[in-house]
Amino acid sequence: MIIKHLAIIQVILPLMAAPVCIVIRHHVGVKIWAVLISWLSFLISIALLVQVSDQGLIVYQLGGWAAPWGIEYRIDILSAFVLLIVSGIGAVVMPYSWTSVEKEIVHERAYLFYCMILLCMTGLLGIVITGDAFNLFVFMEISSLASYVLISFGQDRQALVAAYRYLIIGTIGATFYMIGVGFLYASTGTLNIFDLSQLVPALSASRTVKAALAFFTVGLGIKLALFPMHMWLPNAYTFAPSAVSVFLAATATKVAVYALFRIVFTIFGGTEILEILPIRGLLIGMAAMAMIYGSIQAIYQINVKRILAYSSIAQIGYMVLGLSFDNATGIAAGIIHLFNHALMKGSLFMVLGAVMYRVDSVQLNDMAGLGKYMPLTMAAFFIAGLSLIGMPLTVGFVSKWYLIQAALEKGWWPIAMLIVISSLLAVVYIWRVIEVVYFMPANPEAREVREAPISLLLPTWILLGAVIYFGIDATTGLNIAIAAADALLAGGGS
Amino acid sequence: MFEIGLSNYLSVAAILFTLGILGIFLNRKNVIIILMSVELMLLAININLVAFSSFLNDLTGQIFALLVLTVAAAEAAIGLAILVVFFRNKGTIAVKDINLMKG
Repeated sequence: MIIKHLAIIQVILPLMAAPVCIVIRHHVGVKIWAVLISWLSFLISIALLVQVSDQGLIVYQLGGWAAPWGIEYRIDILSAFVLLIVSGIGAVVMPYSWTSVEKEIVHERAYLFYCMILLCMTGLLGIVITGDAFNLFVFMEISSLASYVLISFGQDRQALVAAYRYLIIGTIGATFYMIGVGFLYASTGTLNIFDLSQLVPALSASRTVKAALAFFTVGLGIKLALFPMHMWLPNAYTFAPSAVSVFLAATATKVAVYALFRIVFTIFGGTEILEILPIRGLLIGMAAMAMIYGSIQAIYQINVKRILAYSSIAQIGYMVLGLSFDNATGIAAGIIHLFNHALMKGSLFMVLGAVMYRVDSVQLNDMAGLGKYMPLTMAAFFIAGLSLIGMPLTVGFVSKWYLIQAALEKGWWPIAMLIVISSLLAVVYIWRVIEVVYFMPANPEAREVREAPISLLLPTWILLGAVIYFGIDATTGLNIAIAAADALLAGGGS
Repeated sequence: MFEIGLSNYLSVAAILFTLGILGIFLNRKNVIIILMSVELMLLAININLVAFSSFLNDLTGQIFALLVLTVAAAEAAIGLAILVVFFRNKGTIAVKDINLMKG
C-alpha cells in the first residue's frame, strides 16, 4: 500500500518534518529528528530507484486527479538517480552538521537551521520528482528561499550581503523561468511536461515557443551558475556555514542542471527548435568558458572555500558541456558527473568544515602545516582533490574520460583539449593547497590543533569512500547514467 | 476605434519587466530599490499570466498568478529580514559591495 505512494512521501516527508523542528525546538531533539528524516528519505529514494529499474517509469497522480488537470509526478531512471544524489547527500550532511552547526551557528538558532535545510531538501527533491513545469517553479522557489536563509546564517557579516545578492539574482532567474512557463502556457494551454512534449513539436515554428526556450535557458542558467551568470555563487559558498556549503555545493546546482536537462530534452527534444536556435552552440561556448574561467579564477584565490567555489563553476561547465553534446556518451558523461561532482565537492567542503571547526579560518595561510596535525582530514582533502583533477581510480576520472571520449566521438578535438587544459589548471589550484598544507611550516598557534572530531571525520570519509568505490567500480553508476541518457535522447515520452 | 487585445497587456508587462531589470542594474546604492525592482519583475509576470489566462478562457493562469504573488511575498520577507539584521549589525543599509555584476 505504502509502496504505491512512495513518490509523494519522498517530497512530503521533509516538508512536514520542517515545521516540526520549530515545535521540538530543543537542540538535541531537533538534531535526532533531522537525521532520522534524512535517512528515511534516503531509504525512500533507494526504494524508488529499485522500483524504477525493475518496472520502468513511475507515474503518480496527486489526489487521483488525471494528468493535464492535476499535478503528476513522473519518476524515470534519471529522476530516480538525482533523487538518490540529493537525499544521499542530505543523509550524510545532517549528522555532519551536528558538530559543525554547534560551532558556527548561535546555539538558540540551531533548530531554525534544521528546519530550513529540510525545506531546502524538499524543494530540491520536488524539482526532480515533479512532472509539471509550474510545480517545478514552486519547488525551485521553496529550495531557493530556504537556501537564501541558510546562507545568511553565516558568521561573517559578508554572509548577509552574499545572501542578499543571491536572493536578487536567484529571483531574477526565477522570473525568467516563469516567463518561459507563461509562454508555453499561452501557446499550448497545458504545463504538464509530458503533455508539452507531445504538443510542442507541432508548434516548433512558433516564435513564442522559441522565446520560451530562450527564457528557460537563461533562468535555469542563473540558477545553476553557468559562466556569465555565476556572480552569486563564489560569495554565497564562501560565507555560508560549512554544513550549508557542503549541502548546496553538492546538490543545489546539480538539481538546476537536472532541470535544464529535463526542459531541453524532454520538452524540446522532439522539436527542430534545437536545430534552428543555436542553443547547443551557445551552451558549449558558455561551458567551455566556464571551465577555463573558473579554473583560472580558482588559482588566484587565497580563501580555500572560494577556490572550491570557483572550481565548482568550472565543474558545472563540464556538466553543461556533456548536456550540449548531441550523443548518448556526452549526455551520460554529464549525468555521471552530476553524481561524481556531488561526491567529491561534498567531501572537499566537509574537510573545510573540519578545518573551520579546529582553526576557525579557511584562509590558505592559516592552513599552513596542518597536514601534520590533522592527518586524516588532510588526507581526505588530498584524495578528493585528486578526484577533482581526474586521477584514475577516483570518480573524477570516470566522468572526464567519458566527456573526452564524447568530444572525440564528435570529432571536436579542441573541446577535448580544453577539458585537458582545465584539468591541468585544477592540478595547479589543488597543488597550491596541498603545498601549503603539507610542506609549509605550521603557524605557532596551529601547533595546538588536534585532529577533527570523529563526528566530522566519519561523514567525510563515507563520502570519500564513495568517491573511491565508484571510481573503481565505475560500471554501476555508468549503467544508470547511460540508461538515463538513452531515455533522454529518445525525447518526449521518456 | 482602438481595441485592447492580448498584445497590449503583454506590452505593458514587457515594459514593467524591462523597468525592473533596469532598476536593478542601473542602481548601485539603494538596496531597497533593488528589492522593489525585483517585485516589479514578478508583477510583470503576473500581468502576463492573467492576460494569457483570459485570452485562453482558462482560469489556471490566474491561480498561477496567485502563487507567484505568494512567492514574491516570501521573497520580499526574506530580503527585508536580511536587511533588518544587516541594519542591526552596522547601523546602516548602505551596502557598498552589492554591485551585482562583480564576482
